Amino acid sequence: MKYAALSLGALLIVTPMLWLLVSSLKTTPEIIARPPVWLPGVPQWRNYLRVFAEIPMLGYYLNSFLVAGSVSLFVLFTSSLSGYALSKFKFPGRELIFKGILATMMIPSLLFIIPMYYLMLRVPLAGGNDFAGLGGSGFLHSHLSLIFPFVVSAWGIFLLRQFFMSVPDDLLSAARIDGCSEFRIYLQVALPHAKPALATLAIFTFVGQWNSFLWPLVITTSAPELTTVPVGLQMLQVAFNPSINLHLIFAGIVLGTVPAVILFLLLQRYYVQGITLTGLKE
Amino acid sequence: MNRKTRQTLTAYSFLSPALIFYAIVLIFPLGFSAYLAFHRWNMLTPPGSAPAVGLSHFTYLLTLDDLFRAALRNTVIFALGTVAAGMLLALLVALAINRMKSAPLWRFLFFVPMVITPVAIGIVWKYLYEPAYGLINSGLRLLHVPAQSWLSSAEQALPAIMLVAIWANLGGMIIVFEAGLKNIPAMYFDQARLDGANHWQQFRHVTLPLLKPTIAFLSITGLISAWQVFDLVFVMTRGATIAGGAAGSAPLESTIVVALHIYQTAFEYLRMGRASAMAFILFFVILTVTLLLLRLLRKGGIEET
Repeated sequence: MKYAALSLGALLIVTPMLWLLVSSLKTTPEIIARPPVWLPGVPQWRNYLRVFAEIPMLGYYLNSFLVAGSVSLFVLFTSSLSGYALSKFKFPGRELIFKGILATMMIPSLLFIIPMYYLMLRVPLAGGNDFAGLGGSGFLHSHLSLIFPFVVSAWGIFLLRQFFMSVPDDLLSAARIDGCSEFRIYLQVALPHAKPALATLAIFTFVGQWNSFLWPLVITTSAPELTTVPVGLQMLQVAFNPSINLHLIFAGIVLGTVPAVILFLLLQRYYVQGITLTGLKE
Repeated sequence: MNRKTRQTLTAYSFLSPALIFYAIVLIFPLGFSAYLAFHRWNMLTPPGSAPAVGLSHFTYLLTLDDLFRAALRNTVIFALGTVAAGMLLALLVALAINRMKSAPLWRFLFFVPMVITPVAIGIVWKYLYEPAYGLINSGLRLLHVPAQSWLSSAEQALPAIMLVAIWANLGGMIIVFEAGLKNIPAMYFDQARLDGANHWQQFRHVTLPLLKPTIAFLSITGLISAWQVFDLVFVMTRGATIAGGAAGSAPLESTIVVALHIYQTAFEYLRMGRASAMAFILFFVILTVTLLLLRLLRKGGIEET
């Protein structure tokens, strides 16, 4: 009974993904056939090649990798420093800052898109702007516009604070007695200790950025050269006439999804750890 | 310099990268948005010269803008419906696989949709829902249920999108519930059994109360992101009409959500002031519901974090 219900549930979860995979190897008439054709007569592997040939898929990959990778590095840096300070030092204002950072999670990201767009447009001395930020396009035609707004993460700071709380103080005191500077203690004692938490944060940030849509949509409307994978996938429906090229749309979706799925398959345990670490401990 | 001052200085220097970035990407945008919510501005002129309009954006939105009211209503239905149904299903699955040998396999299967781009999920489900050849109606025909119009129907479009959101987020909730269940010491159950409690009574009087922090966490974080739903709705209700699909799409007001309305108002109609006012109303909703839940689920552990 239990197994039957679970199997039915899992089947409902997995079927859409299997259907996508199989459809990406079909021809369009096979996809829209009624009654449905389950398997392609001849698997159309060249669907994938045609996606690369007909749309700048490689460019989308590059943009997404560059953005997701850079954001992850910045987030690791800012979150680990702040999480460490918030858990291992006692100082006036600590609770206030920590609560303030948590509270920012309640602010809808929609509140930021307009000011942030304007900010990116008016960065002084960038993209042809003068010292007052006027005259050019600022960061709008640079990957920085996709990276900059996400370099701090409240969730990341929270995750690493939770993790550093469990690192024994003795470990740090020992280094302090040896005369290490505080920054070296952070770099050479605390950070190596936090590798699992850092891995968790890195993969969550990377996949989150890889999948992010709203902000890249706003930015790439005026800067198509920055198109990331999700925006590219949405545009597939325009690039390929769906009534004859549905197979290419599905092949494109598979290609766009594969990197995040592979990352997940390789690093599954860090996912589980990240979710439970922030979800349960106080 | 004494030890305490030194510690404070070190701490703040460690915090400075985050605090400086927060000032730029958080404090400034908040202030600017607040300014815009009371001005009329189209992004093309200097914001300093934008005419002040007082509260008129807010009064317009709350009394005259039918589309915004529809968006608010749809967003509330979407958020409450997906989070409540998602948590219920996730709890059932977590209870079933808890302490099972095959738990990692089930957990994996249910989790996979979590890493797939919402855009991809939206496109795939759009074709699954397609009335003529979509897999879902094909399945219904096999069961001798009449085909439904799903995304092209004013009544079914929003529930159909909600179903996808539940499908996509179930895996994460399952993992959190599983971890919550593991945190309950076994001796509580032993004691309850000694007292003659049956399965339901154990669940009702041991499991459920001790899951309160987990439930608080999931409902709060789940709602915060659900209020802001954009990707799925955007992809499933807009863009090119789908292949061979005879049916049109459902009317805008049956599926529009606040985030989509804000996006359109700002970046398609260039009404930055009105869009900012909408975002503040959304912020107010999120803040109220979150604080209410925190109060309701107090002693749940979350407020100590």
